[in-house]
Amino acid sequence: MTDQSLPLAGIRVVDLTVVWSGPGSTALLGDLGAEVIRVEGNNRVSRQASAKLTNAGVANAGWSRNSYPDGKPEPRPYDRTALFNWHARNKLAACMNLETPEGHEAALKLIAISDVLVENNTNGVLEKLGLGHETLLELNPRLIVARMPPLGMTGPMSNYLGYGPNFNSLVGIAAMDGYEGEPPDSAGENYHMDESAPAALAFAVLAALWDREATGRGGLVEVAQAENVMQDIGEFFLDFQMNHRLPQVLGNTDPGLLQDAFRAAEDDRWVVVSIRDDRDWAAFAGVVGGVVSSVVGSVVGEADWLDRGRTAADRRTNSRALRDGIAAWCAGLPSDEIVARLQEARVPAGEVMSELRLLADRHLAERGWFKERTHPAVGTYRYPGHPWRADGFDLAYGRPLPGFGQDNEYVYKQLLGYDDETYDDLVARRLITEEQFA
Amino acid sequence: MPHAPEVNGRQVFTGLRVVDLSRWVAGEYATKLFADFGADVVKVEKPGSGSRSRHWALVPGEQPDPEANPLFLHLNTNKRSIAVDLHSAEGVELVKRLIARSDAVIESFRPGHLERLGLGPDVLRESNPRLVVTRISPFGQSGPYRDREATGIVLQAAGGPMNATGDAHRAPQRKPGLLEQYTIGRTAGEATLAGLYHARRTGTGSTIDVSGQEVLLSSADRRASYLVTAAYSGVNAPRGVRSAHRGQSTFTGPFRAADGFVMIYITNQEFWNRLIRLIGADDEAFRAKFLDRPQLGDDWPAFMSYLKAWFAARPKIQIMEAAEAARIPCTAYLQMDELYDHPHFRGRGAFVTADHPVAGRLDYFGAPWRMRDGFQLRRTAPRLGEHTAEVTAELEMSVVRP
Repeated sequence: MTDQSLPLAGIRVVDLTVVWSGPGSTALLGDLGAEVIRVEGNNRVSRQASAKLTNAGVANAGWSRNSYPDGKPEPRPYDRTALFNWHARNKLAACMNLETPEGHEAALKLIAISDVLVENNTNGVLEKLGLGHETLLELNPRLIVARMPPLGMTGPMSNYLGYGPNFNSLVGIAAMDGYEGEPPDSAGENYHMDESAPAALAFAVLAALWDREATGRGGLVEVAQAENVMQDIGEFFLDFQMNHRLPQVLGNTDPGLLQDAFRAAEDDRWVVVSIRDDRDWAAFAGVVGGVVSSVVGSVVGEADWLDRGRTAADRRTNSRALRDGIAAWCAGLPSDEIVARLQEARVPAGEVMSELRLLADRHLAERGWFKERTHPAVGTYRYPGHPWRADGFDLAYGRPLPGFGQDNEYVYKQLLGYDDETYDDLVARRLITEEQFA
Repeated sequence: MPHAPEVNGRQVFTGLRVVDLSRWVAGEYATKLFADFGADVVKVEKPGSGSRSRHWALVPGEQPDPEANPLFLHLNTNKRSIAVDLHSAEGVELVKRLIARSDAVIESFRPGHLERLGLGPDVLRESNPRLVVTRISPFGQSGPYRDREATGIVLQAAGGPMNATGDAHRAPQRKPGLLEQYTIGRTAGEATLAGLYHARRTGTGSTIDVSGQEVLLSSADRRASYLVTAAYSGVNAPRGVRSAHRGQSTFTGPFRAADGFVMIYITNQEFWNRLIRLIGADDEAFRAKFLDRPQLGDDWPAFMSYLKAWFAARPKIQIMEAAEAARIPCTAYLQMDELYDHPHFRGRGAFVTADHPVAGRLDYFGAPWRMRDGFQLRRTAPRLGEHTAEVTAELEMSVVRP
């Protein structure tokens, strides 16, 4: 089904993932041309949207109703949710109820002719379904079984329940997160573990495929998501051992930079500005200029405030006052003008981009980043593009999502070789459906 | 006795060579992934000062020893370092010869700089058609913002979910540390390996354009789903709303314990009821009032103050263990000292001990994931130019790649 020139053309992935980091991982494999087949039970909510949602029912659900086009989950909410459709590009979907003998048999047949299986269920779920990695590797020794238990498959806390932010807390990220100088419970939401897992999983699967070229063997890949995300603060772990200190809550500041987020003239529009060195400050001072500087200075209470940031030591000592000055300057200007003037002077600055501003952004438009796609269950909309691009090979961006059960016939009849009679019987018994009941 | 890492034969990337021209976190993390899984990663550093990560400061004004900077030590395990002046003809020639004998190059100069050095992808791929050249930049190698200046916070503002992070009536809040750099680096690593896999199958290399902004925009930390939501319904993600995608029936977030903080994630009715039974174990009236309630109304403040008081009276680990026993997602905030001693991670062998000639004996984070012939700490980070003579000699002898 996939373009043969893509890097993972001919590689078939069975996707048993749910929620965020797992599906984000398999999306990356699909981008590379792998045939990613989501195996979904019609009696489960595997796309974060229940079949029972109604337009009226979500009317009072606050912001979350916006996850559905124009706030309308009907019909087929499970095909219409942004919680699924952000990662669903290129994927196929087949209905299989794994706890039934028929679903179990079909799953084993599919796994036997696949290269990779990815799952991020709670420890033990696959084993209960008779699909533990040992069983599967016996069935198909070339299979790569990638499992993503947050705390790993072994160890005293391996069965702990939790979501990404729970494990961010456990590895030390949450303790660093918050407004400058305030306790860490002042932070906003941080889903960094979900952000860090997908590329790790895709890298790990590629590494296992690379290895399989040499050895002919598949095997288990265990991505303990907490142990992956802790890599992202490795410097603090070493610093603690070397210097016996703990990271502090720094908010938008940085030890090596003078920086913060500042309000621009428009309603709830913010910009960030970073001063890296003496040149940046001199350039910033040049942009602000003499007359404006004294106006801002009268707000800050110091006419010569631009003179107080010339050296790194000055910027440390006077950090608060200098940021007050930058804030006063930014408050009078539209965000586009702040960013354009500072970037022209080669000072790092940018708008804190809202989603609607990104959809209208000329840089992303010129790079063709958003992809407009159509699906009958949803209509025509733009979707986030690929995380990277290559000159030398293409990445896939075909169908934006698979409707629930949309690829049943392809999977059962073409891949697994079910005859019409067997297939029709499973359909008649509602074990294969094109709708989700849960 | 010196603690030398135990090295056991073959790893998945044994035989691959990757040249690291980067000088900051994203590129160095991308190449670390290859080095830690067995590739020969040769890091090209500026003579005298070396990589920028040798000069990272955790405290303003601090000037750490460039041979013992925690950031450099973490990011450059298992690599070799050569000190080469890329502004000299000899230096460029040496690097060209090295790259001609390599499988991939990862760089993060400003767009256009590699070409000005005479090391543009076209030049490099002409002498080595299977080569993968991965280019990391804030906004990509094309487009009107290609040449914009960026720091981590500028990247988070352009790509990350920063606009939706923080309190509704306060400034947007970036994520801490250098987290965005790692995300970009890990993705650049994945892209490079995809290019290598493609080259292995087809014999053809590639040039890969990694825009930090686009990496962050496509991310699972909700930015991508917020973008789909905006496309579907024409609204931005809200700031100051926890778990916005999940709606009002759930509540999540940090709470103050007697000795720190805990993070709780109540995302369904079952978790809710378990929580009510746990904190109301000795309070029948409380249980009667709050069990089976899909949503609270005017009694929300009363519930919250009860909950806060319950948490505030108990130590964080005790809360976490009680919550887990009741199967409620609720974990303690740990700090580096607590992580260092943690029985779960220690017990799993998540840390690896090794000696460094300047920094001494330290525990490093070990395997980011586990697989056959996977992660090993073969050697700690190199000193600046430690392998210049060795690598130069290998090239002069035209040693064929292992």
